[in-house]
Amino acid sequence: MGRRGEPYYVEAAPPVDVNKNTEWFMYPGVWTTYILLLFFVWLLVLSVSGCSPGAAWTVVNLAHFAITYHFFHWKKGTPFAADDQGIYSRLTWWEQIDNGQQLTRNRKFLTVVPVVLYLIASHLTDYKQPMFFLNTIAVFVLVVAKLPNMHKVRIFGINADI
Amino acid sequence: MVRLPYTTALTTLFSYGLLFAFGQLRDFFRKFVDWFKAKNIKGYAPICLGLEDFYVRRLYLRIQDCFGRPIASAPDSWFDVVERTSNDNNKTLQCTSNTTRCLNLGSYNYLGFAAADEYCTPRVIESLKKYSASTCSVRVDGGTTKLHAELEELAARFVGKPAAILFGMGYVTNSAIIPCLIGKGGLIISDSLNHNSIVNGARGSGATVRVFQHNSPAHLEEVLREQIAGGQPRTHRPWKKIIVIVEGIYSMEGELCKLPEIIAVCKKYKAYTYLDEAHSIGAVGQSGRGVCELLGVDPADVDIMMGTFTKSFGSCGGYIAASKEIIQHLKQSCPAHLYATSMSPPAVQQVISAIKVILGEDGSNRGAQKLARIRENSNFFRSELKKMGFEVLGDNDSPVMPIMLYNPAKIPAFSRECLRQKVAVVTVAFPATPLLLARARICISASHTREDLMKALDVISRVGDLVGIKYFPAEPPKIAEADHDKLE
Repeated sequence: MGRRGEPYYVEAAPPVDVNKNTEWFMYPGVWTTYILLLFFVWLLVLSVSGCSPGAAWTVVNLAHFAITYHFFHWKKGTPFAADDQGIYSRLTWWEQIDNGQQLTRNRKFLTVVPVVLYLIASHLTDYKQPMFFLNTIAVFVLVVAKLPNMHKVRIFGINADI
Repeated sequence: MVRLPYTTALTTLFSYGLLFAFGQLRDFFRKFVDWFKAKNIKGYAPICLGLEDFYVRRLYLRIQDCFGRPIASAPDSWFDVVERTSNDNNKTLQCTSNTTRCLNLGSYNYLGFAAADEYCTPRVIESLKKYSASTCSVRVDGGTTKLHAELEELAARFVGKPAAILFGMGYVTNSAIIPCLIGKGGLIISDSLNHNSIVNGARGSGATVRVFQHNSPAHLEEVLREQIAGGQPRTHRPWKKIIVIVEGIYSMEGELCKLPEIIAVCKKYKAYTYLDEAHSIGAVGQSGRGVCELLGVDPADVDIMMGTFTKSFGSCGGYIAASKEIIQHLKQSCPAHLYATSMSPPAVQQVISAIKVILGEDGSNRGAQKLARIRENSNFFRSELKKMGFEVLGDNDSPVMPIMLYNPAKIPAFSRECLRQKVAVVTVAFPATPLLLARARICISASHTREDLMKALDVISRVGDLVGIKYFPAEPPKIAEADHDKLE
């Protein structure tokens, strides 16, 4: 990157987001780190288990589903005692980012990632059951959870209130 | 505005992700281990939500020994740091009876008043004998001594305002005053990097709070226009009043505020201005009068000027300087004045003596010397650090210089290695700074001699190489060229 071994610099202007739980997502390099992380976990799974690439992508997809669902859509509040008098203690991380604004670039990117993972995993497993079924459930739940209509919605009261 | 290499951003995010993952894993297993432990809180609700202290338990406690180090002497340019040990991997720390003599790069000792001073200390001891350590009373009852009245008048004269009021604590000065100035139906527009005391005061006031991009008069204008046009939320009635709050020097950035432009914008839209000069009063400006003097702003243009005595004057407490009417109103309504114990008389005397030294009214020119020295020291140190390739924030003339670290592992590495080499630095991480922008904050003092600074530069350079924080290419040392070539 850059000319002749000089590092490539990016500028990090402090974003105007008072919620410290989510403002780290507005810095440069976050999207790349996310994608690289998924790619390296796939390599790890492939090298450790020695399964087919499609099965490895399925494992990555399902693990991604479990982890992102837990941390983005299940855990509420902030993992540190911010003196904001608990205004975010009923909101999941997804509902907190970008100050609650819908359809921002970050949100669109995060919605596209599970879909792309699904397409890669399904293609490389030739759409065979049972992987196809599991992958479809994963992408369905994740995309529906990220829709703007689901902002602050708790179905059947699951995960409502503290 | 910080510039960091792209790979550093990626590795920092990855490191935090790894720390977060390990913390979650340990919490997960802790849940099983604690399942069988007897709980004796039958029927009571837990005081703290288990989720909220995740950061403290799993990230902060691991590097706890870098923060909160106790010191065993006055915070002069050299001081004694108490050594601490831990038997359980930093979960708890025990103080030993050993101390290390270290170079102090962390105290806000801008003019060197933190240690014994030849003019201030005898007078402080005298006032301690005469007025004793505490007034044991509230300002309005029996807690106003002659010294308090003298300091209020002196502080007002120093800053260039008609009147001033004192408080025993700097933090409280902001958080108790702002609710007295504005309430529901008002609008506070504060800089995005304002200190926690201002944020707390703004929240406590009940007014609507809006934030503008750090030090950006253009964005401030945009926010003002949007808010004035929109009015109060829901009712859209006009705002009762608008106060814009900025700081003189931002303590985490070392940057000066763009005061003239911001005052111009506020005047245009008839908003009040509140300037928090905690770090800049006494430390910048030709005669130490702060950021107004440095940037050529008339103090009459700033409606309320706040400052603290903890930084440049070596004491404790804070003041507000404004017009006589505002100060009179505050004296009737501010709870910190009506219900809090007044400032300790020796502390007041320390400030009076310090201001007299700065103004030259003690009969010597030590004040002017100190101001010149701190300016020289700050500029020299900053330029040398930049030449070595560190990423240093802050403007020239500002005595606060943060050196960017970014990666979470470099915070304890830098801090511990510097301590090993007898230099004590303060490192700052989340949540005082944004997550990715961890830094080591250096505060230069007028009591640092040139040898102290050279030693500090040497140590920081070596530690910087070890830790890998020289993100910019270093300037090659200039080869001394001959004055002129003798060709004949």
